[in-house]
Amino acid sequence: MATVEVVTKVWIAPGCIVCDACETTCPEVFEVQHDNETCVIRPAALDAEFTKPLTKTIKEAAEECPVDVIKFDTIKVEMSDEEAAKIAGGATATPAAAAADAGAESPKAEAADKAAKASPAKPAAPPKPKVVDPAIQALLAATTVRGGHPMINRAVSDLPEPVRQLSKMSPEELPPDGKFQRVLEKAKPKQEEPSRRDVLLGAGWTALALGFGVGPLLGFNRFMAPNVLEQEDPKVRCGSLAKYAAMPPGEINEDFKPVKPSGFWIIREEDRISALSIICTHLGCIPSWLPNDRKFKCPCHGSGFKPDGTNFEGPAPRPLERFRIYLDGDQVIVDRSRKFLAMGPNDTAVWNDPEASIAV
Amino acid sequence: MIDTYWQLLASAEGGHSDGLIDRLKSTIDYLCAPEYFVTLTTLLLIVALLTYKIWTKPKVAGLIFAAFTFFYVASMFDEDFFKIIKKPDNVPITMMIYFTGFCTWLGFRQAAINDDRMKRGEPLLESGADDKVLVWPDLVYTELIALVLCTAFLVVWAIVLKAPLEPPANPTNIPNPSKAPWYFLGLQELLVYFDPWIAGVLLPGLIIVGLIALPYIDKNPRGNGYYTLRERPFVISVFMFGFVIMWCVLIVLGTFLRGPNWNLFGPFETWDPHRPAALLNINVSDVFWVVLPERLALSWWKPGLPDQPFLFLPAYLVREAPGLVLVGGYFFVLPVFLAQTVFRRIYREIGFVRYCVFWLLLSWMFIVPIKMVLRWLFNMKYFVAITEFFFNI
Repeated sequence: MATVEVVTKVWIAPGCIVCDACETTCPEVFEVQHDNETCVIRPAALDAEFTKPLTKTIKEAAEECPVDVIKFDTIKVEMSDEEAAKIAGGATATPAAAAADAGAESPKAEAADKAAKASPAKPAAPPKPKVVDPAIQALLAATTVRGGHPMINRAVSDLPEPVRQLSKMSPEELPPDGKFQRVLEKAKPKQEEPSRRDVLLGAGWTALALGFGVGPLLGFNRFMAPNVLEQEDPKVRCGSLAKYAAMPPGEINEDFKPVKPSGFWIIREEDRISALSIICTHLGCIPSWLPNDRKFKCPCHGSGFKPDGTNFEGPAPRPLERFRIYLDGDQVIVDRSRKFLAMGPNDTAVWNDPEASIAV
Repeated sequence: MIDTYWQLLASAEGGHSDGLIDRLKSTIDYLCAPEYFVTLTTLLLIVALLTYKIWTKPKVAGLIFAAFTFFYVASMFDEDFFKIIKKPDNVPITMMIYFTGFCTWLGFRQAAINDDRMKRGEPLLESGADDKVLVWPDLVYTELIALVLCTAFLVVWAIVLKAPLEPPANPTNIPNPSKAPWYFLGLQELLVYFDPWIAGVLLPGLIIVGLIALPYIDKNPRGNGYYTLRERPFVISVFMFGFVIMWCVLIVLGTFLRGPNWNLFGPFETWDPHRPAALLNINVSDVFWVVLPERLALSWWKPGLPDQPFLFLPAYLVREAPGLVLVGGYFFVLPVFLAQTVFRRIYREIGFVRYCVFWLLLSWMFIVPIKMVLRWLFNMKYFVAITEFFFNI
């Protein structure tokens, strides 16, 4: 009977740098999850009976861990020499499948496995002295500093020239120790591809910034121009009064219908001449003057207006609007900037305004 | 070329154009006065809904189709009718008439079969029919064929009939009549009777909102996934009225019966822009404050629109009070009355809120024909005419 120290529980303390060293040494227990940026204990290894035979490799892994985050509990048990030798011999108890799995992942583990199989009863050999480049030694020292990756990066930048050379070398040229390669890779500045979420977020914020930033700027641009309304002269000179005074009452002069932006008819009533807008008060079409019927008739919805502009049929709610009209010497001038709006066929008092017509 | 054809045929026909055909044409023109046209089409729709089991029989439907096509083709020998038909703008109207007829027949045919089967306790047309098809190749091939045929049809159409583009707008030379695109002619017709904000914004908006709201108002699961008329007579009748009469018939009216100056013409009548048409319209306020006192000749009620405010009411509200009472009664009192009589069952089934939405949609749909008929028969212009605020109903 021999008293052997066996591992009953393994856990990972915070601060893992995802270096793969533990999984390389003991793939049955440790699993490095690069996505989660940590290594975890495989579920099966949470059982004391599972970890017992792996005591040696677990201890090795804990020792090799560059940041010393692998922790374990041990108890001392008495067992037969044969079993004790087994435990001391390492991974011989590993199920074949697990071994194959480990082999696929790491050649070194496979080699260790083979070596263990070759000499199953060999007592625990003292840990191999690690002969490494002093530069890597320095690098490892840097990784053990508290603070994680930024510290490693800083350490690399502060390191002497050989180490920096090393960090720039391709993995194939590195010393043949996988885990240190990984450490070096970790030490390299990370160049991540932006994820879809990052791109979309960036685009969204950019659009928002453009909307809130550039939009108002463009809006302010309008104040760079003088604040004037571009429009035609609202006043139209329509010739001498005699021409219109000569028209018989009820007659319409259509000469100014095409004037832009809003044309007008000059109409002769009993004792005055006025200017009627050509825009239908219903929906803005332009009525036609039907001389035989003596009415304005809108071709869009059939509104009809009497010769003085009063609405009398169809949907138009109000009479045609009138423009200001006045005399400048002998010249008749229509000023379209002022309108006279009658509210209904019986509500035309506004037309009696002296500016709404010229008395004849 | 078509014109030459027509002239040839017309000259061949000329000698025989006896009084009978002319009398027939003038009868049709007379019946196409809108008050008869819309009333008759509505009656036709009611008869069609009542006798749907008879006219949907393939033989009867084929006979109707043949008779209508004969009438349509024969009408083309009339110069005025043919002028309307051959306008490239109006070609889709002919298609619309036939497509509407065909789709209506198809739906009612299946409804008639289903209703018969239901009565006999047999399974429906749709039951047991597995309407799932494979996307590839069935659906994709069907879509491809439809795509190719439609494209070919549109290309041929675009080549044969020139697009009716006109020169830039010119205020001195306005097309008379100025017609909207054919699919908007129904809405343009509404503009004759309503203010732009009602006919152009509110009513089209209500059509869209109403169609969206239908499934939320009508929770009755009957008729889901199968054709039937017997189980849903009310909703189908209302929909057919709204679609066929208030949409398609108004488009036909706008196309065939609206001529220069937006006057009404018969389909076989020459579009004479100088034809006199007296349309002296009066508001309800005019009727109440002027016409009524004149007729009654009371000593204490003098005719004349009120122009003084009464208590706290401004003058325009006093003037429009009768119209406001009418409109308010139609929108707010009539539904209460109907909920207790005709729509009692509907009200019980759909509840208060749904009933309010239902009445909102139904009342706006039916105010259109009501106002149209009042315009045609009594030259009624507006119920409420507050021109001060552009508020005219």
